[in-house]
Amino acid sequence: MIRFEHVSKEYSRTGFALKNASFHLRKGEFMFVTGPSGAGKTTLVKMVTMEERPTSGVVRVSGYSSESIKRREIPLLRRRLGVVFQDFRLLRNRTARENVAFVLEVTGADTEQIKPRVLRTLAAVGLSDKADRLPSELSGGEQQRVAIARALVNDPFVLLADEPTGNLDHRIALDVLRVFKDINLRGMAVVFVTHDRSLLEHHPGARIIELDEGRIVGDSAAEEDPAA
Amino acid sequence: MSYTSREAFFAFRRSPLLTALSILTIAFALYTLSVFGLVWLNIERVLADVEERVEVVAYLEDGAEPGDTSVLVREVAAYPEVDSIAYVSKDAALERARTDLSEYSELYSDLEENPLPASIEIALKPGYRRSADVEDVARRVARFPFVEEIKYGEEWVEKLDFLQNLSLFLGVVVGGIFAGIAFVSIGATINMVMISRSEEIEIMKMVGAATGFIARPFVIEGFTKGVLGAVLALALLTATFETLQQRVLTLEFYAPIQLVLGVVLGGCLGAIASLLSLRRHLRSW
Repeated sequence: MIRFEHVSKEYSRTGFALKNASFHLRKGEFMFVTGPSGAGKTTLVKMVTMEERPTSGVVRVSGYSSESIKRREIPLLRRRLGVVFQDFRLLRNRTARENVAFVLEVTGADTEQIKPRVLRTLAAVGLSDKADRLPSELSGGEQQRVAIARALVNDPFVLLADEPTGNLDHRIALDVLRVFKDINLRGMAVVFVTHDRSLLEHHPGARIIELDEGRIVGDSAAEEDPAA
Repeated sequence: MSYTSREAFFAFRRSPLLTALSILTIAFALYTLSVFGLVWLNIERVLADVEERVEVVAYLEDGAEPGDTSVLVREVAAYPEVDSIAYVSKDAALERARTDLSEYSELYSDLEENPLPASIEIALKPGYRRSADVEDVARRVARFPFVEEIKYGEEWVEKLDFLQNLSLFLGVVVGGIFAGIAFVSIGATINMVMISRSEEIEIMKMVGAATGFIARPFVIEGFTKGVLGAVLALALLTATFETLQQRVLTLEFYAPIQLVLGVVLGGCLGAIASLLSLRRHLRSW
């Protein structure tokens, strides 16, 4: 799945973003990554997508290693990940349906399969009735659901969400968290990055990794699995 | 309409002026190249005609012994450049003059002494009829002591050679300048599209679209511009050719296959320009 082995990332201008971070995300696990801003949460996500490589240590994701992955393999890895951002990153001139279909179009999916897969995924996030709306015609929570559907449509093994509720008020944020929990219940692993600790209590069973100044200062699963 | 073809025409709608500029500069580049190429082609044809007639004539001194002459003929015939060699005696020369210049026949009729020299006429093999080779043969033949004078139409050959080289040079330089402008304007269009589509490209990278897939619409767009530019250049060239043909002289035009190759060349030029400017963006992927 995802394994960090003594991973450090140092930027020449801002110094260490991650220091000696080690953890192992297991299949089907729901993991919160929390900590104040600047703690290294986004760097951690970028390491998983191989947008950034460690300065030292190794990141292993779904059979690929940060030490040996080739540039042309990175797109293949990313097709196995679903990523959701705080700012939704939807294409403004395309409808919800088109935004989700876009992923399949650009990753070479079978044309005939696109429509049913898109509709099925939009239904899974509760947006069947708004498939033909533009992002500007949707609320913040709905836009984030479109983004989640877009992340899901390629059947990834893990959903990575970088502050997915950062732009939403608390009630809507809880709705969105519920969508992630539902998805996780169906067996997909979730990495939910948030600085909002109040969300954590709404999913008591989840694993929590706490970051501070690039270090993992707490891991609720560490006691069960010291090697992780 | 597939993603690639839809996006390939995005730039045409997005920045029609810059697109038009790219097409026009490619057209000018190819037009310039092709006009000078046409000049080159026609000079080449004239040269080929002239070349067939190129021969080195060595006029011999009156006192040359028959033995000396046969040595000269034998040695010169052995030069690798020489195709055939013919000895024209004084009498034969006079006879030829009488036939060739019949209107002056009385001039030759009551001569006490034959004023025409004996000569040898040296025909060169194809491939050795250019000025440098001809001069070289002429120089070596001139070394024989009883050779009085050498003629080989040197001004003609040199002038045509010079014109041909000049047309090639001008075509490459002026065409190259336009090609450079075409590259810059194609690059500028791509940068604009890249900026306006940066969100979309970010998403494509994030969801795992292959680099080649992201680049493909840009390359197709460049190729299309190149082909359009080449077609425009072809139209201009045909118009120029027809005008010259009517007013000046019969000229030779490109063969159909050469025209097709020209259009493909235009397309490749556009695609390469796109790739070069994409490379900067591709690197960060």
